[in-house]
Amino acid sequence: MIEARGLTRRYGDFAAVRDVSFSVADGEILGILGPNGAGKTTTIRMITGFLPPTAGGVWINGKSLREDPLAARRQLGYLPESVALYPEMRLEEYLAYRARLAGLGRGEAKGAIDRAVDSCLLGEKRRQVIGQLSKGYRQRVALAAAILHGPQVLVLDEPTVGLDPKQIIAIRELIRDLGRERTLLLSTHILPEVEQLCQRVLIIDRGRLVAEGTPEELRAQSASATEVRIAFEGEVPDAGDALGAVDGVDAVLPGDGHLRLRCASGADPRAEIFRLAVERGWVLVELSQRRASLEDVFVRLTRGQGTTQDPDGAAAELDNSHGTPGDEGSEALGPNDTGPGPEDPVDRSGGAAEER
Amino acid sequence: MMHGFLAVFSRELRAYFVSPLAWVILTFFLLVQGYVFSLIVGFLTDPRAVAGPTPFEIFFGGIFLWLTLVFVTPVITMRLISEERRSGTIEALMTAPVTAVQVVLAKFFAAFVFYAFLWLPTLAYPALLSRDTSVDWGPILAGYLGVLGIGGMFLSVGIFGSSFSKNQIVSAVVTFGCLMLLLFLPWAGSLTQDPQTGELLGYMNLLDHMDELGQGIVDSRRLVYYLTTAALFLFLSSRALEAKKWR
Repeated sequence: MIEARGLTRRYGDFAAVRDVSFSVADGEILGILGPNGAGKTTTIRMITGFLPPTAGGVWINGKSLREDPLAARRQLGYLPESVALYPEMRLEEYLAYRARLAGLGRGEAKGAIDRAVDSCLLGEKRRQVIGQLSKGYRQRVALAAAILHGPQVLVLDEPTVGLDPKQIIAIRELIRDLGRERTLLLSTHILPEVEQLCQRVLIIDRGRLVAEGTPEELRAQSASATEVRIAFEGEVPDAGDALGAVDGVDAVLPGDGHLRLRCASGADPRAEIFRLAVERGWVLVELSQRRASLEDVFVRLTRGQGTTQDPDGAAAELDNSHGTPGDEGSEALGPNDTGPGPEDPVDRSGGAAEER
Repeated sequence: MMHGFLAVFSRELRAYFVSPLAWVILTFFLLVQGYVFSLIVGFLTDPRAVAGPTPFEIFFGGIFLWLTLVFVTPVITMRLISEERRSGTIEALMTAPVTAVQVVLAKFFAAFVFYAFLWLPTLAYPALLSRDTSVDWGPILAGYLGVLGIGGMFLSVGIFGSSFSKNQIVSAVVTFGCLMLLLFLPWAGSLTQDPQTGELLGYMNLLDHMDELGQGIVDSRRLVYYLTTAALFLFLSSRALEAKKWR
């Protein structure tokens, strides 16, 4: 259980985080989203007690970070954004050090290290010197160190950055498992990851909490409601007019070899369209519904307010995050995630929604 | 509550012995000390030498001791907190269930053990001499007591310097500056007109302390001075570590 009340952090006159309150329950995975520089890492550092808040407070399982810091920290596992390890140590030695630091006895530590090494797929590198490990391995060593002492509360800042697709699947599986009984706070740039893992999402922009809810609720808030995509075999010149008359369809937009129907919120005209096609003898080759994705919500909520002033900038930043090496995996994950690049969010969001 | 101290202490001590810098320090330290000692012995065994000081009075009271201490201790300590802050490992360290005081003490004692290890081989000098001549071990032990006491004080200043910056060089220079003040301010105090200030600074004159210790005179007030100064700087370091942990 994490409880944050009125968290504020000022640097001189600049408020990096302003009055952010939320709580995370046991067995819940909460995702924090926000553009770069929005205050995510500052918030996370206050939650973990690394950074004392200017105002407000944090309670970890009811223990105040200010009043009872050691008891609160004992319950906490933390994967910082910048994965920092001691390069001269062997992997095993580092985990032994972290186990000792967390207060595990020698006997407990051995079992804990074995478990963490197994769940983070580090078996074959146990004896390696950390300085010689690749980024993906170091990321997993840091994750292993965070979960080592079996903390009830886990805070993971970008846990899948730098991993290959196979590892991403495994680590997400691990996170999902951990989230079943524990309290898990997750920050990530990868929106499909949020949709797959998180029961609830916070969106932070310019230091403020701008939205909170389940991915479902956030999607419902999005202005752009649903869209139906449709394609026929051959040319069907009169389709546009006929479809425009279907109940629930607001507008028909031509696409490249397909049509896009903008629909009223909550409307699902697909059955009607199918009947119409049968009636007219059109051969349908595609009929799919696209719901507003978290990406839409994210771009809309943080539009023109983030570090970049223009809305395209915000969108470009998101696109960039999809192009980073760490994200390759997410593109290659679900069956629907293979093809589309960032310019085609339709299938991806559909796929992510299904997977959830 | 010892687990945090022990974890940091053993990691830190190990880090010394696997770092190339430590072995470079050790090598040059022994080269310089060995050379200095051979010079002293050579000088004293010259038939024309005036009778008087023992080799260890010169060894512990000489300028080479201070040069060594003032240069070696900042290099030993500069890494301690700066490097954790630069690399970011401080984030995992300071969110673990350990206090800043434990962390600072653990780092201090690791540095102190390494420092003592540097001096260990120099025990061979009196041992060598004792084969051919009679050696009075009392003043020698007193000298080592001073070396450890003043060294510990300097190392605590070094940790304090290291808590200032992410940059090890900056840390070492800050430490070096503080040590110069600690060493030469009391010495300059002999020039002051005000008798009370002069007397106070006289108590803090480390150069005199080592001269006396080299002669076997142990004054407990001096040991108290080293201990309290070390405690003060360690306390300040732990405050700096807490206050700056967000950087």
